[in-house]
Order: sequence, then structure tokens, then C-alpha cells
Amino acid sequence: MSDEIPQAEETPESDPSEETAESAAADEVGAGGDSAKASETSPDLGSNESQETEAAEGDESLDEAEQAVSVVDGETDEEAAGGDDEEEVEGDDNEEEREEQNEEEDLARRAFVTQVLAGSIGAVVGLVPVLSGLIFFLDPLIRGGQSSSDAATGSSVQKDAEGFIKLPVTRSLLPSDGTPQQVTVEDDLVDAWNKFPKVPIGSVWLLRSESNAVTAYSTICPHLGCAVEYRGARRDFYCPCHLSAFKLDGSKDNPIPPRDMDSLAVKRDTGEEIWVQYRSFRGGISEKVEI
Amino acid sequence: MIRSLLAWLDDRTGYAGFLHEALYERVPGGARWRYVWGSTLVFTFSVQMITGFFLWSAYSPSANTAWESVYYIENEMTFGSVVRGLHHFTAQLMIVLMAVHLVQVIIDGAYKAPREVNFWLGLVLMQIVLGLSLTGYLLPWDQKGYYATQVSTKIMGNAPLVGQQVQELIQGGPKYGHHTLTRFFALHAGLLPISLIAFLGLHLYVFRRHGLTVKDPDHAPETTFWPDQVLKDGVACLAVLLLVLGLAIWKGAELSAPANPSENYAAARPEWYFLFLFRFLKFEFVEHFGLAFGSIYVPGALMGVVAAMPLLGRWAIGHKFNVAFTWTLTICIGGLTLMAFYEDGRDENHQAAILEAHRDAERIKELASGPNRIPVSGAVTLLREDPFTQGPRLFAKHCKGCHRYDGHDGRGRLVYAGTADGGQVPAAPTAADLGQFGSSAWMNSVVVDYSNHFAALKNSGWFKNASGEDVLNPDESEMADWSGDAESLRSEENTQNVAALVAFLVAQSGHNTRDGKAITHDTAVVDRGRKLAVEGDWAGAINGTSCADCHATVGESFSEIGADDADGYPNLSGYGSAAWLKSFLSNPGAGQHYGEKNQMPAYAKRMTPVEMHLLVRWLTGDYVETKVKPYEDRREQPVTKE
Repeated sequence: MSDEIPQAEETPESDPSEETAESAAADEVGAGGDSAKASETSPDLGSNESQETEAAEGDESLDEAEQAVSVVDGETDEEAAGGDDEEEVEGDDNEEEREEQNEEEDLARRAFVTQVLAGSIGAVVGLVPVLSGLIFFLDPLIRGGQSSSDAATGSSVQKDAEGFIKLPVTRSLLPSDGTPQQVTVEDDLVDAWNKFPKVPIGSVWLLRSESNAVTAYSTICPHLGCAVEYRGARRDFYCPCHLSAFKLDGSKDNPIPPRDMDSLAVKRDTGEEIWVQYRSFRGGISEKVEI
Repeated sequence: MIRSLLAWLDDRTGYAGFLHEALYERVPGGARWRYVWGSTLVFTFSVQMITGFFLWSAYSPSANTAWESVYYIENEMTFGSVVRGLHHFTAQLMIVLMAVHLVQVIIDGAYKAPREVNFWLGLVLMQIVLGLSLTGYLLPWDQKGYYATQVSTKIMGNAPLVGQQVQELIQGGPKYGHHTLTRFFALHAGLLPISLIAFLGLHLYVFRRHGLTVKDPDHAPETTFWPDQVLKDGVACLAVLLLVLGLAIWKGAELSAPANPSENYAAARPEWYFLFLFRFLKFEFVEHFGLAFGSIYVPGALMGVVAAMPLLGRWAIGHKFNVAFTWTLTICIGGLTLMAFYEDGRDENHQAAILEAHRDAERIKELASGPNRIPVSGAVTLLREDPFTQGPRLFAKHCKGCHRYDGHDGRGRLVYAGTADGGQVPAAPTAADLGQFGSSAWMNSVVVDYSNHFAALKNSGWFKNASGEDVLNPDESEMADWSGDAESLRSEENTQNVAALVAFLVAQSGHNTRDGKAITHDTAVVDRGRKLAVEGDWAGAINGTSCADCHATVGESFSEIGADDADGYPNLSGYGSAAWLKSFLSNPGAGQHYGEKNQMPAYAKRMTPVEMHLLVRWLTGDYVETKVKPYEDRREQPVTKE
């Protein structure tokens, strides 16, 4: 139905004929070029019109329908040309003719209003469900990441207001020669309607320097998010997916990763305890953008 | 009667004309095998619709039910593995058939006027099919799909302008979760198939409008689609079906371990038909231009050239270019794919990762089919709490620096040390290989071959520097001395006694086999062994020497002896048992263990209590029985004598 509307709307402007309905039907037939459609549409729209159209209505064979189309087309042309005739008629001052013409204009106006109404109602009934659905689908963008990672937790996770989480290792137990140690980070995890209390949410590489300072790196590769592993024989980090390599200070060691490893904030002045702010960052870009 | 019914139906519907048009399409030059590709594609799509519907009826998209429902389909439901296998392999075959179809269309010039629009419709269909593959790969929510799809969506997020937004929309948020699955599923089973049907309809309609592209109409007399070409198409579809059915039955669709965001998945790879792109991204020169270049712009430009082919094809030279381009691209894709396979095949780490992934997949099946089924929290907790799965990982994390397990790091990989010239060589262990810990082989070796049993200690720095000889040299160490008594201890008359002592020690440790099976003990032999340990009822020269002479508490279950009570001899009550191990690992330097001679770090604070619990249960065989094959033994010379 909605397909027909634009054509129908154009008709009154481009073709100021009185037989709007029929020419619409003609357009239909011309555009569709298919016999079933021709026979379907003509009786509805052109019921009080020319015999030729009615002939098309009765016939189902392809050839005859095509014939009918060409005839209808011809007629439409005639009517288009008939515009000139109308002007002559106007000059004629024949009242009957004028009345007839008024009636015809009235009909055209009514048809126009009908088309606009049908079109707008069609648009509304079509758009409302589509738009509501689309807005619904945009929910993640509209509400933003509803990450509750910094919220105080009710479980046994030790976490401060800034989101630092206490790790299950102590400073002096990290290898003193700077060998990295992987530590799992546990936190409450909210996933849509679920809250999973104290589950592993990721892991970090921890390194202790000679000056006893602890650095933390996310194990997520800044390239495309695989897990970065430690290669003891070469004393470096590498990613088994696309072979990103990093030095122990986190700086990239080949051109594959777009940036250095993502360092994570380690809380200051915690004595033996190690508190890390666990974060995720967008992969594949040279800037470190938090997700 | 029937004829008049049909006539009535035709009068009301016109089906006969439609049928006639559908079946009696002209086939100039006769039916050919080369025309079957399009039909097989329609067929594979139908298979996907059918099997997809039935899978849908048993699938549950959420982070803690997706893997579980697929597990249930695959392993427990009647014909589940067949239906899933059909869906899985048909999806892959569809990609192959699509590629063949596309290449053939280009080579035959079937994209030229007036068929340009249909060519483009075909390209749209191709994108939809690739979208179906991408979304379908994630739905089982297993490690493989989870990590491979992460890469795809991250690439999506790197697209210019709205990439980030598109990524979040498809993921249903900034990270993967329930809504990633619900959305992927809605795309996979809703939007994409409906679009595919719509575009396939258009594709077929326009195809029929222009007819076949016939190169040599004189090949054979003209015929019609039905029945000549239909027969050939049917045979081709049958071949496709047999192939897919064979794969489904004999190979089966893989289901790796449930997705675990906190567990590295080093074996992550895209589906094989995307390996070329994966390999392409690994070239450093590609990465010089940034990720978006290799993963978006280059593939986009290649697709752009393909889409422009109908325009280029207006000129004869253009067609030649198109064909040359297609062959070059095909060869490059094939080459990169082979390269990726070859490199992965030689990559020791990747092979180890694949092996581990297979073990995890096998293991989770054992756990999920156990009497307690899968907990509501999801199958991932089963693996997380399974000593057999976590033990090797903890060993590799905490122990492999000094110890080995059957010569490897617990996870089947050799441990390497760097060399001066930047290469690597297998590193020598500096402590005992714990693969046999607590078994009769271990106990036997400790008893009769003490010095050799702990010979790995000789590789360590402390041994060379100082006190090593105290521990292993029979002249310095009482234990080495006693155990080294070849004449008496290892004499034939004591063979039965040693076996009894070993049986007693194994019984005292309470270990299961490494398959998790309980060991049945012969009570009489164990009692005999206990007597030997406590009273020293030996034959020959060592008669009267007992374990208890030094290790006072042997024979009892593990009991904590305070540091003050330490007498300089390790506490052997419940030696090797879970309680003994926990105490030992927490502080091996305690008086009751190695005391001042200890060289091993204390693990009380290096591991969480949960980690230690899992490690100890793994070392004692305390887990659900398993049929998973152990990793290959990689000891150069077995340390223990069997």
C-alpha cells in the first residue's frame, strides 16, 4: 500500500486532469508491468472509468494485459493534452461545463486530501513501532556504560572509594629481580540484571623494582584484547594472537601494538599491601581511552 | 477430479503459470555442472534455516545459560550433535560455495550489463552471510568464540566516525555480557536471515529476468531448467549434504570451554576462512599504518574494487583486469591462509594452547555431566573450582620456576631460559619433578635412591655455593647415607619390605591416582610397611633402623609440630597428604619441615587460600575422576626408576 502513495501524491500536480484516480491506476500498471497487479488495481481505482481499463480487468493473460496497459497509457496522454481543451472550455462560459469542472476540481481536491491523509497515517503507523524499537535498541548508548565498578561493594571484596582493589599478594613477596607476576583481580561483577559477587574480573602483571616500587599493567593487549603473556627466556611480554611484544617497562617492542601496555594506578603508601585500580581501555588506538 | 481441483486452484491463484516460469527457464547450451553453484548456495541456506530453527528451540542466550544450553544440545539431546554439526559445517561450506560462485561469476563475465544490479545484490548477500558467520561464532559463548569475536568487535570499534558507537550497540554495552548474546542472537536469528531471504528473493528474481550467462550456447541443444538442470543441481546438493553430514557425524562441531573473561585464551584464532586477514594483520608493515588500515581500509578497498567490477567490465581491458584481480586476490588469500596454518603448526606455544583448550573442553564435559549437573552460576564456575583444571595453571604460575611436572611446566610446555645471544634453551629444573609426587614411584625413589631423586637440586645456585652437599652427599646427609645402602636396602631379601614400606607411605599420603581414582590398598601389606617404618623390622644389615628413628611421627596422620618441637628432621606424619602439603607449602622453612636447610620460598602469602587449596587437591589427585589424557611426559631421563 505504502508504495503507491508517493506516485498518487504527485499526480494532481504533474497531471491536472480530472481523472486522477484513473491516471494513478495507469501509473500503477505502467510501473508494475505485471498482469496480476493490473487486474487487481484497475477495478478498485478505475471502476467508473473507460472500457479499456475494464477490459484489462477481465483478462488475465499477459499479452492482453500489456495491451490494456498501452491503451491506458495512451488515454492518459490524451487527458494530459486535454488540459488545453479545458482552457478553451473555460472561455466558453458554459455553465454546465463549469459546474462539471467545479465538481471535478472538488473531486481532485478530495482525492488529494485523501492521499495526504492516507500517507500520513501510513507514515505514523509505520514509524511509531520502528522508532520506538530503534530508541530501545540505542539503550546502551543512551544510558551509557552502567559499569558499577567503582561502587562500594557489599561482598568481601576490599575496595576503596576510588576503585582501588586490594590484591591477594604483598609487596615483599613479589620477585625482587623485577620478574613480573600475574595476579588475578576479583571484584563484584554486574552484568545487566545479574550481580556476581567476588568473581575474577581480569588480571594484572605486577613488577617490583629495586626501589621497592610496584608497577601494574593490565594483561589485556592494547592491540586487539588478547592476553599478554610473560616470556621468561627473553624477559619480555608478548601477545600470542598477533605477536605484539613489550619490554618489561611496558613500552612496545615492535610496531604491532598501537601503544605501550596499559599501566594501572597503584595506590600509594599502603605498606606491604598492594591496591590496584583495575580498568579496561579501548584496543587498537594509540591513545589510552578508558572503557 | 484432481485435475478439476487443480484447475480451480490455478484459476484462483495462477500457480500453474508461476510454476511453469520457475521450472521451464531456458537453459541454452544444455544443463551444465558449472551452473550448480548458485543452487547449492540456496540449498545450504535452506539447511541453515531448518537446522537453525531447531537449534533455536533449545538455545538460551545469556551469559550463564548460552554455553550450558549448547552443551546440552551437543552432548545430551537426541541428535543434538548431528543438528548442530550440520549447522556448524554448512555455515563454513556456505562461505566456500559463495567464494566459488563469486569467482565464477567474475571469470564468466556474468556481472556485465545488464546484470550489474544482480552482481551487487550478490555482494550484499555475501555481507549478510559474513554477518551471520560472525554473529553465529559467538553464540555458543565458549572460549574460542568469545575471544575471537572480541577481536572482531574491537576492529569494528576502530572504524572511523561511529565505530565506537556501533561496537557498543552490537555488544549491548561497553563490555561483553548478557546483552551481547541477546543482541547477537537477535541479529543472527532475526534481522540477518530476514534480510537474506529478501535479498535472495531479489537476486533470484533479477537472475530469472536476465537468464543464465551462457558462454557457448552451442555446447549442447537447448533445454529447460526442469528436469535436466534440476537433476544436476540435485546431485550437487546431495554431495554437499553428504559432505556436511559426514563432518557432523565424524568430526563434530567443537565446543570449547565456557567463556571466561578472566582466563587467558592463548589459542584464540578467527574461523579458518578469516585466517588470511588475521595473518595479514600480523605483518609489521601493515601495522605501521595503524590497525584500521589493515583491518578496515584494505578489506574495504578490496570489496570496493569488486563492487566496481561491473563498471570496469564495460571495457574489454576492464574485464581482463577484473579477472586478473580476482585470481591475484584468490592466490593471496590462499597463500596467507596456508601461511597462518603453517606458522601455527610450528608454534610450540600455540600448539600447547590448543592442547590445553581441548583438555578444558573435554574436562568441562566430565564435570557438567556429573551428578550435580551445572550450577545456576554457570559452567564457568565448575572449571574455576576444579583442581584438575586449575592445578596445572597454578603450578605454571607459582612452581615452574624451580620444579617441573613430568618435565613440563604443568601445562605441557617446556620451560626455557634465555641464552646470551638472544636465543632460548630448555632451562634445567632446580628442584624435584613433582609429576609423580606421592605415588609409589615417588615413594620408592625417595626411599631407595634419595640422592638421585633430588638430583635436580644440584642445578641451583645455592647448592653450588654452599650447603648442598649437606643434603645429598651420603657422607654428609644421614638420609642419603641410609638410602644409599645398596648392599642391604636394595638387596633381594628386602625387595618385599621396600614394596611394603612404599605401600604404607602411599596409603599414609591418602593420594588418589592422577586420574582422580581412589587407590585400593592391601591392608596386610600396608601394616607390614607401617611396622617397618616404625620398628625397622628389616632383613640384613639395616635391621633395626627405622624411619621413626629420626622422623618421630611417621605412621600417624599429619599433626602439626610447633617450631619449638622441631628436632631437625622433617615431619613425615601424613607425608604428602593434603594437610601435610598445606603446612609445608605455607612455610617449608618451619622447624618441622626443612628448617634451616630449607631453600624453598614460603607460599602462605604468595597464594590465596583458594589457590593453595586447589593446588594441593590437584597434587593429591582429589578431584572428579577424569579420562583426559595427561600431557606428554617431557622429562629427558625419567628421574624415578620404575
